[in-house]
Amino acid sequence: MATKADLEAFVTSVTCPDDFDDFWGGVLAQLASEPLEAGVSHDPMRSNDDVTVYHATYRSLDGLEIFGWYSVPAAGEGPFPAILVLPGYKSEPAVRRDWGRRGVAVLSVAVRGKLPSSAEFNPGYPGLLTAGIESRDTYSYRGVISDCSRGVDFLLSRPEVDPQRIFCCGSSQGGGLTLATAGLRPEIRGGVSGYPFLCAYPESRQMLRSYPYDELSCYLRAYPDREQQMLETLRYFDGVNFATRIECPMVVGIAMEDEVCPPETSYAAYDRLAGERELWLFPESGHGNAHDYPRQETEWLERRIAASKAEWAVS
Amino acid sequence: MAGAAHSRLESRVGRIMTTSGFWDRTEAQLAETPLDLSIERDSFYSQPEWDVYQVNYNTTGGHRLYAWLSVPKDANGPVPALVRLPDYASVHDIIYTSLRHNAAVLNVTHRGQRNSDGDYRASYPGLLTDGIASGESWALLGAYSDALRGLDALLAQDRVEIGKVALWGAGLGGSLALALASRRSIVDAVAADTPLPLGHTTALDSGPGYPLGEIGDFLRYHPGLRSEVEATLGLLDPVGDAVNVNCPVLLSAGRFDRSLCPVAFAEELAEALPNCDLRLYDGAAEGGGHIHAVARTAWLADRLEISASV
Repeated sequence: MATKADLEAFVTSVTCPDDFDDFWGGVLAQLASEPLEAGVSHDPMRSNDDVTVYHATYRSLDGLEIFGWYSVPAAGEGPFPAILVLPGYKSEPAVRRDWGRRGVAVLSVAVRGKLPSSAEFNPGYPGLLTAGIESRDTYSYRGVISDCSRGVDFLLSRPEVDPQRIFCCGSSQGGGLTLATAGLRPEIRGGVSGYPFLCAYPESRQMLRSYPYDELSCYLRAYPDREQQMLETLRYFDGVNFATRIECPMVVGIAMEDEVCPPETSYAAYDRLAGERELWLFPESGHGNAHDYPRQETEWLERRIAASKAEWAVS
Repeated sequence: MAGAAHSRLESRVGRIMTTSGFWDRTEAQLAETPLDLSIERDSFYSQPEWDVYQVNYNTTGGHRLYAWLSVPKDANGPVPALVRLPDYASVHDIIYTSLRHNAAVLNVTHRGQRNSDGDYRASYPGLLTDGIASGESWALLGAYSDALRGLDALLAQDRVEIGKVALWGAGLGGSLALALASRRSIVDAVAADTPLPLGHTTALDSGPGYPLGEIGDFLRYHPGLRSEVEATLGLLDPVGDAVNVNCPVLLSAGRFDRSLCPVAFAEELAEALPNCDLRLYDGAAEGGGHIHAVARTAWLADRLEISASV
């Protein structure tokens, strides 16, 4: 089992490209130039006394239509605080009805490649992690991270959402995407990144044999001359580099026996966080299965959401 | 429609009993369906220590299924095999297990999952109640046929001679593993984590969490169809079938789970299984998490008589 000393002693080789901000500024500018075309349709079977559930759709980078589960409190008219929930690598986006009775709207995004958002882009699992990795401009995660950023735009487009009180969370890939989204979008007021994937790629690939990181090793066995090219692309998509740009409060949760995302690499992202930060360590827990994590995530977000209401009222 | 043949009786302990003959029909349909197996090495995902193959084969209803097979490169003589039954999710990928070093591992999918969705694509949530108002239309029943067919594919392939056979699955995969073991005596061991209680009354009265919450959604939206849903679920009888599972079973569940495997179901199932080691953990749907994952790998290695270490 990794110890906290192991985490603190870990040093990643990841450095930030000089034009990191220019690259992502260009992506965000392209997104801003494309119509959002946000829409919702009611799903009466998924709705209950606490929450009204909608199928949400919006356009993202290169015009792809992205699907999400959008849950709105059944009681009250808003404006509601909102949480953007970002998905794991291969898991299904969750219908988060648990926040309805707490008065919080939730958008759970199916990024491109996920089943409901796969009509025009579908590299598969395995497959997504290396799709287009030859260049930062063709890499799959340029679109995936855009889909998350566009989720913020979707929430901002909704009249029932308080634009000053948008939070973000996710586990595994969702944890990595939480770091990326919070690093790109200052509208995010706080976030919880669980077991974050997409951090310190060079070391993650070498520390474990498990997928998805092993897809990178498979790629290099097939194309041994492309290692530097691959690593250069990944610098633009590394949670370690997004972390330095996050100014809102952020939690990173780490399972000390994580067999999918090495604890050291998640800590490397935590260590670079620029703003208020909190570290949760879960001993004797593996990837995504720390017993206390869901409760802690809910309680942290509840506290922050409540505090944001008070802050907003004062300002 | 709940057919007259689906006589439903609730036992003292919560089984939904049936005289539907579901398994007899399924076995007959499988026997009439040529396997038409194809197998192709995947050079991209093959590893220095094992080869990975893409496997395709037919199942009932005209569906074509997909599986990932890995075979240790130094395989010599009969090799133990692990069949990993699919989760309740669209993706059933290669996944890493240290057992791959010493065992052939087959990750089978069922109709509707990614790579097995040529004629039908399952949705999540949605699959659990797709067509549930009738046993003739319930999509999830196909997964049970497909589990049987996955074992047929393992035994029919010619890349490696198969020795002992173990099954492993979680959630839906746990249920499929137990059902498969009840029908095939060749199975030497089953590790079933948090199996879904399909065919048991706890499936009808779970919490709102998915996947079991899907049934609650359906019944709330279609309150007049409860008896039909009960009849459909009654086509399966995991507790009744348990007596036919002759191999050792490692069963795990979380004491606070209401979305995958309610503890009452796990305990009743364990009691019915002739040779069951039930591990209950103070968790919810994640069951025993990492602690159980370590125990399960060691347990499977023991049953397959291989080393779990790399």
